[in-house]
Amino acid sequence: MNHVIIGNGIAGIQAAETIRYLDPTAFITLFAAESHPPYCRPMISLMLEGRISSDRLAIRNPHFYDDLQIRSIAGAYVTSIDVDAHAVTIDDHEPIFFDRLLIATGADPRTMKIPGHALNNIFPMRTVSHVENMLTDISTARHALVLGGGLVGFKAAYGLMRRNIPVTMLIRSEYPLSMQVDDIAGGMILDRLKANGLTVRTGIDALAFEGDSRVREAHLSDGSVLACDRVIVGKGVQPAVGFIPKDRIPVDLGVLVNTNMETGIPGIYAAGDVAECIDRVRQCPWINAIWPEAAMQGRVAGMNMAGRTVSYPGSLGRNVIRIFDLDVMTAGLINPEPDDGYQIYSRIEPRLPVYRKFVLKDNRLLGFILINRIETGGRLVSLIQRQFPLSASEMGILKTL
Amino acid sequence: MKQVVVHPEKCVGCMQCMTACATAHSVSLSLFSATQEKPLPKPRIHIGASLYGRGFPNRCRHCDPAPCLLACLPGAIYRKPATATVLINPDLCINCASCAMACPFGVIRYHEDNWAPPGKTVAIKCDNCISRQAVGLVPACVEMCKSGALTFEPVAEAQNRKTREITQTIWPEPVTVATGKFDGFELLQAIKKSQHNLATAC
Amino acid sequence: MNSLKNYSEYSIAQDTRLMLKKAEQEMIETVWDRHQAQSPHCGYCEMGLSCRICVMGPCRIDPFGEGPQRGVCGADADIIVARNLGRMIAAGAAAHSDHGRDLVEVLEKVAAGKAPGYSIKDEIKLGTVAREYGIDTDGKNALTIAAELACAMQEDYGTRKKCLQFVSRAPEKRRNLWANAGITPRGIDRETSEMMHRTHMGVDNDWVSILLHALRNALSDGWGGSMIATDVSDILYGTPMPSRSSVNMGVLKTDQVNILVHGHNPVVSETILQACQSPDMIALAKEKGASGINLAGLCCTGNELQMRHGIPIAGNHLSTELALVTGAVEMMIVDYQCIMPAISQVAACYHTKMISTSDKAKFPGMTHCEFHPENALELSRKLVREAVENFSFRNRDRVYIPVKPVNMMAGFSIESIVKALGGSVTPLIDAIKSGAIRGAAGIVGCNNPKIKQDYGHVTLAKRLIENDILVVDTGCAAVANGKAGLKTLEAAALAGPGLKAVCQSLGIPPVLHFGSCVDNVRILNLAAALANTLGVDISDLPLAGSAPEWYSEKAVSIGAYFVASGVFTVLGPMPPITGSMNVVNMLTEGLNDVVGATFAVEPDPEKAAVLICSHIEKKRAALGLCSR
Repeated sequence: MNHVIIGNGIAGIQAAETIRYLDPTAFITLFAAESHPPYCRPMISLMLEGRISSDRLAIRNPHFYDDLQIRSIAGAYVTSIDVDAHAVTIDDHEPIFFDRLLIATGADPRTMKIPGHALNNIFPMRTVSHVENMLTDISTARHALVLGGGLVGFKAAYGLMRRNIPVTMLIRSEYPLSMQVDDIAGGMILDRLKANGLTVRTGIDALAFEGDSRVREAHLSDGSVLACDRVIVGKGVQPAVGFIPKDRIPVDLGVLVNTNMETGIPGIYAAGDVAECIDRVRQCPWINAIWPEAAMQGRVAGMNMAGRTVSYPGSLGRNVIRIFDLDVMTAGLINPEPDDGYQIYSRIEPRLPVYRKFVLKDNRLLGFILINRIETGGRLVSLIQRQFPLSASEMGILKTL
Repeated sequence: MKQVVVHPEKCVGCMQCMTACATAHSVSLSLFSATQEKPLPKPRIHIGASLYGRGFPNRCRHCDPAPCLLACLPGAIYRKPATATVLINPDLCINCASCAMACPFGVIRYHEDNWAPPGKTVAIKCDNCISRQAVGLVPACVEMCKSGALTFEPVAEAQNRKTREITQTIWPEPVTVATGKFDGFELLQAIKKSQHNLATAC
Repeated sequence: MNSLKNYSEYSIAQDTRLMLKKAEQEMIETVWDRHQAQSPHCGYCEMGLSCRICVMGPCRIDPFGEGPQRGVCGADADIIVARNLGRMIAAGAAAHSDHGRDLVEVLEKVAAGKAPGYSIKDEIKLGTVAREYGIDTDGKNALTIAAELACAMQEDYGTRKKCLQFVSRAPEKRRNLWANAGITPRGIDRETSEMMHRTHMGVDNDWVSILLHALRNALSDGWGGSMIATDVSDILYGTPMPSRSSVNMGVLKTDQVNILVHGHNPVVSETILQACQSPDMIALAKEKGASGINLAGLCCTGNELQMRHGIPIAGNHLSTELALVTGAVEMMIVDYQCIMPAISQVAACYHTKMISTSDKAKFPGMTHCEFHPENALELSRKLVREAVENFSFRNRDRVYIPVKPVNMMAGFSIESIVKALGGSVTPLIDAIKSGAIRGAAGIVGCNNPKIKQDYGHVTLAKRLIENDILVVDTGCAAVANGKAGLKTLEAAALAGPGLKAVCQSLGIPPVLHFGSCVDNVRILNLAAALANTLGVDISDLPLAGSAPEWYSEKAVSIGAYFVASGVFTVLGPMPPITGSMNVVNMLTEGLNDVVGATFAVEPDPEKAAVLICSHIEKKRAALGLCSR
């Protein structure tokens, strides 16, 4: 069996390992756009913080491909898929044929098409190279501007603050991480960031950047001008689906897959941030672009590709972050539409501080936010994943957590 | 291979396994000195309360595959097949709590520890007392448990015994399971259950 | 958004529920939070199987039979459980009896003229009790009698006597039974001291023998320390007479200086009351913008004041923290017993001043002002002045009085009942004989977070009066039934037809407030009076006792002296004895052969009511009275 995997992120790596485990004789080709060996993407912000160096990012040993007899093609962007011929091509090179194909190309950062966006020192933060570029002359940084209050913007701001660099964050919502937390938790996080020196401006965006070769200032939508020598753009990511023939392989925001991680075309699979599958709590197609789901999807895709039919019950958005001395864990649905039959329980102890919010429907746990005392939050994740109505003793867990 | 087997129906909730565990993971290995140590040694086993206040020994199951191991970003969590133990390398741990989010049993804690670099908060969980096992001792929690809620034995044996017990309870003929043996304990539990139900009923 | 805490699971009392909500909003930890944090409770301790008596141990016995079955000394589950229970009873008896001793000392000081602020309020009772002690009262003035009585009572605490004086109040059959079983109480302190001795390693290792002494120890409380406490309180502060009062947190007033007294012994609260009523203090309060000084009680100190003076009660045991959460309390003055050390932490969230008064009972976060008979009045005035001055520091935005008070009648002593009955207990006996009243039951004891607050007391009381059983109650049970409105004349409508008619003709509620927890001896006295009148033993009477929400060692002692006196007693929570089914069986069955009564354990008050009703009907049948 001839397997081709596009992408050496965690989904691609897990798939390759799984295929090799189940089929010692399979032929596996893996395309890697980044030339780095497989590394842990969620940890790149720790490099920015200065807590670790890039050599700590590797998730497999240097001989990993050889050990598993995987042909790896690094630094290569697959440019097209010939669905009928079962082949992929890179530019005008010879096509590479497959019996099973896994699309695990991940996602790319959204870019800002505003004047001056191509100036130096304006960075996205998605890859190890991005962070390495940011760090080249980080000691000269005087003021950084972070666009976007999502996870990336937040982690960038946090990393720069840990380096004692003044940071201004521009966000559309009233508080950071608005996709992950509610207003109360967001307020607690914002307070903690502000207390540690972050400047946050809400409801404002950048309209243009100016500078000679490097960015020097940003012109903002309220007419003000902000001096800055670093800009980090955290405007979200979009699945890397540019090369996919959308007339043949159904693509929504990401590549649509069934519960076996198979696309609309038999033999072609997708996993990780590029794939769009059922969300466990929303019960509709959704992309939860997080590391553990990518890993799990890669494993499931790998098993199916190797002939062992395994289904994937859907993804669950979840995150855990430590922000100075504030620990935040969230999962699932945390800001449901009001008056739609949701049971919402919350508890706040501002002095500790501790905050809990639980979202249930028909006694099924759909989501939660924990601020501090997060150690046993995994139990809640498993209760969401299980989707049975909670028993009395499980409701008791919510009370005492 | 012997492993710690939990029999929750025999847990009396005394929490003595917790102090034994913390002591076994101290520098001094003595309860009284251990309470004076910095950092304070902490237990890897945790006694939770069930609905009726009955104890439950919550301890790492050393799952295979282990969700925490799969979720660990820096690759600090690994398996030691010889003792079927999932371990955490404190040098590699980045205290990101991804394992907390992954563990369906909530058994991982985060604190400074004698076994970790000084001043570093790391993920800590049950290590099956492998250092005690290496010198022929049973895990500390098992040694301390006097009610039989924690045993150290081959899992297969425990499963066979449990199967026999269950078979005996459902077999129509000779019921040899001791009745009356645990009368006092069951009486107490019945009272506690009754108290709980009264509180929630009306 | 909703709270995950369901306050209705914690209490049936509306004031508690509303105050819990405020406490949660203000992030104040309560007894329920701590109870939850303590769960699971240690099973060895819950079963009485842990022994910390000596340092060869500590030891514990595996209830499942595989682990150790004997302590280091060789004590098995029976011995360990019996020893632990014995020590619980010793502690409970000690608490009541030491309370009694403090009152005897006040009596002594009054006699010596060294107790300004105290006097002999009931000289008739002084004379009656003195004559029981064999004191010749003829021609002597009250202070002389008081001195001799105090001295005689102090002898009861010692070892020179072979039998406590008040044992003579018990029916002859009962006294003979005690003598035959070898459990006649000799000295109040002696029995407690001997219990500690017997349960030392290597002394009494016959669990039956330990349990029998435990009964004797309890009897030294019931017919000794507690009985002295009640009678001396009556002598010093007046024998209670029926009065109107009110109860629940609504008794606190937004426009007045609120002072709470909490604990058990009336020694402190009696002089505090005098100070609160003095015109200069009231004038000072008005100067500070308050319309007056409002003294209210908590727990048994509250009961003592309510019984004798109609002073309102703000709540029982589990309400003590929450009363402070009203934000309206200027000062809380505590004496001893059942005062949670957590309470000063609650007070620290408000302007409330906390005062401890006994050298035996000091608390973190409280100002200690030691009361003696000599300085009591002066110190009371000083404290009340401080409380009044503290009114200015009350944060009015945080004041929340959750409910309106409930009216209740209090003040039922044997003397007042006999008076209401026209001079003897005969009308009561006639009502019992005719079946209009089937019998009587005492509901006594505490609150316990293991039981929904007041649910046990109130449910049981309602079921019993529905079945024409007269209920007498004390302690926190009495406060619970007061809050539930069962101590009003109108509550007679809730009683069965027979009891209802009796209540209406006598103008009494169907649930009679007998006082504080030492006042459980009023129930013993009533039982003895009925038995003596009928010429039977107490165990022959259609009587029962119950402690639906008990928590304390004192309650174990009370339960044990009830049973040892021949009163069938139903406990709500299970005592720590299930580690020995021998002990369980002895207490719930075997004691019938020894003292003619047993314990039962039943947390569900509906079922407890069934047990009590059937017991009472059984006793009626045995007496040849009509039975259902």
